[in-house]
Amino acid sequence: MKTIRQADIIVGCFLALLGLFIVYAASNIRIGVERALSPRFFPSVLGYTILVCGAGLALKSWRFKGEDPAIQWPDRQGLRTIVACLALLSAYIFLMKPLGLPIVTFLYVTANIWYLRPEKKSVAILSGIALGIISYVVFIHYLQLSFPVGFLLERLGLEG
Amino acid sequence: MSFSFDHLFQGFVTALSLQNLMWALIGCFIGTLVGVLPGIGPASGIAILLPLTTVLPPTSAIIMMAAIYYGAMYGGSTTAIVVNIPGEASSVPTAIDGYEMAKQGRAGPALAICAISSFVAGTLGLIGLTFFAPLLADVAVVFGPPEYFALMFMALTLIISLSGRALLKGVISMAIGLTTSLIGQDPLTGAARLTFGFPQLLAGVDFISVIVGLFAISEVMINVESRISAISQKIGNWMPTWADIKQSFPAMVRSSGIGFFLGLLPGVTPSVTTFVAYDVEKRMSKTPERFGKGAIEGVAAPEGANNATSTAGFVPLFSFGIPTAPSMAVLLGGLMMYGLQPGPMLFKENPEFVWAIIASMYIGNIMLIILNLPLVGMWARICVIPFYILGPMIVFFSVLGTYSVRFLAFDVWVMTLFGVIGYFMRKFGYPIAPMVLAAVVTQMMETSLGQSMLMSQGSLLILLKRPISAVFMILAFLSIGRGIWIQMRTKAPEIAIEETD
Repeated sequence: MKTIRQADIIVGCFLALLGLFIVYAASNIRIGVERALSPRFFPSVLGYTILVCGAGLALKSWRFKGEDPAIQWPDRQGLRTIVACLALLSAYIFLMKPLGLPIVTFLYVTANIWYLRPEKKSVAILSGIALGIISYVVFIHYLQLSFPVGFLLERLGLEG
Repeated sequence: MSFSFDHLFQGFVTALSLQNLMWALIGCFIGTLVGVLPGIGPASGIAILLPLTTVLPPTSAIIMMAAIYYGAMYGGSTTAIVVNIPGEASSVPTAIDGYEMAKQGRAGPALAICAISSFVAGTLGLIGLTFFAPLLADVAVVFGPPEYFALMFMALTLIISLSGRALLKGVISMAIGLTTSLIGQDPLTGAARLTFGFPQLLAGVDFISVIVGLFAISEVMINVESRISAISQKIGNWMPTWADIKQSFPAMVRSSGIGFFLGLLPGVTPSVTTFVAYDVEKRMSKTPERFGKGAIEGVAAPEGANNATSTAGFVPLFSFGIPTAPSMAVLLGGLMMYGLQPGPMLFKENPEFVWAIIASMYIGNIMLIILNLPLVGMWARICVIPFYILGPMIVFFSVLGTYSVRFLAFDVWVMTLFGVIGYFMRKFGYPIAPMVLAAVVTQMMETSLGQSMLMSQGSLLILLKRPISAVFMILAFLSIGRGIWIQMRTKAPEIAIEETD
């Protein structure tokens, strides 16, 4: 998908299919007690809206013949950075429960800054330590929010 | 229910309590910070912090949230002037003359005029809010479910039709926002809707995850890929001269009026009014050739309009319960989280709450001018924090805010998913605002439509039979018609006006 027109055709077709799927899913909603507004009404209307607009967008773009702006995609390095940042975020979410918020925050922030600027290792480590401590002191200890503490801190008796 | 000085006085008594003053100050500080920092705007800032405020009483929490919102309007111009990076579309006109002033070594006076203009417009806007909101709430008392449904429908159509040349994309964005909010159990029958067999979806998709993903995470992705680097401008003397103030004061007052009255309409966000105000000033100027070359009115006008519009957004929020912009939608969600239903009954049933918020905004405006004028150099330095530090910090706070709504890792996954969706929406030119607003008002729309149909024994014609709802529905269809007309006349692909918050 290099241009807006190409993207509109492909995404429009995808949205039309999504709309169709929503209409199908809406038809399977259990109605139960008779009501003035069926629980199927809104999902069905929205499914049809997405179907019609998606198809309309694809058709309109397919017939479009004018100047077609290019999509500003990142270069190879930019793409690698986005994928790496998303992978780090996924690891952050995965490891939050077993390792606990403070430790996983330290690891995530350090790793992410380290990846983005490898020459700033000390900034990465200090930022990680600072945010890890803030997450524990402010959010777990002071505000008493139920964030996971993790087995390591539990063993140390730091349970908030 | 109309305006009374007693209510306002009571509001000041509540807002001036030590606790509320402290939260207003914290909100103003965070708001300015959110405005100054690139990659995070008021909607995502409020959405991230909203769940964390559950430890506060509702009045203090909303005072802080509101302060973050209007505080962000003060800080938004800093990056535009200092490093020529408008953090949001509304700062683009400020950057035109502001950055020129900075290049001439007058970044300090430009930032100071921004703060003064924001203060003047914010205060004038607040006077408007104080008198208009109760008046409109009086009108809204006669509204029944059909009028509410029609009003929300009209608000959504206006927002779509104003999202640039992208009508179909606007409708799709709104429909996906509405559909996302329908996921989960039907509030009346308990039937599972659009859960596709996933038990995690039975509890629904929280709107905070959607908003934080769409705004904060996607913004981080955009900034990470472009590896923005800031060039710091030296801030010398920040004091504007009397001549600067004299020259820009009429622009401040005019732009306050433009920003406030246009800002009462749903969908007319600061990104629209700032351009209008800039254009009006240029047309009214005896020396329009100075615009674009560092004219101080060119800085004062968009900043004034920006603040007046954001204050005006509280009028429909408090009187009708209608959000006019994504940040207002998040605030509406915050009010609902605390069991408060904005609308005419808010003035009747919780006058101490609503007047305390309004009074706190007067106080907040004074706090902000104090925070912004002498500390202008500090804010200018903060805005050049490198993104390799800022990005992970934004993600950290986003995860924290999203997780703390229901303490479910699932919500953080949803946030990530919507971050990716938001990234592609920006790339493909889809407007984000309709999706955010729809995600927040779905429940209210469905409930009011259900009640309307109960009143009419299942006939949708009730929406056209009652005069007020009929007017709203006609306006809604006219706005759709206008959008279609613009689409047909424009020989260009669908691309929404660039927006962040």
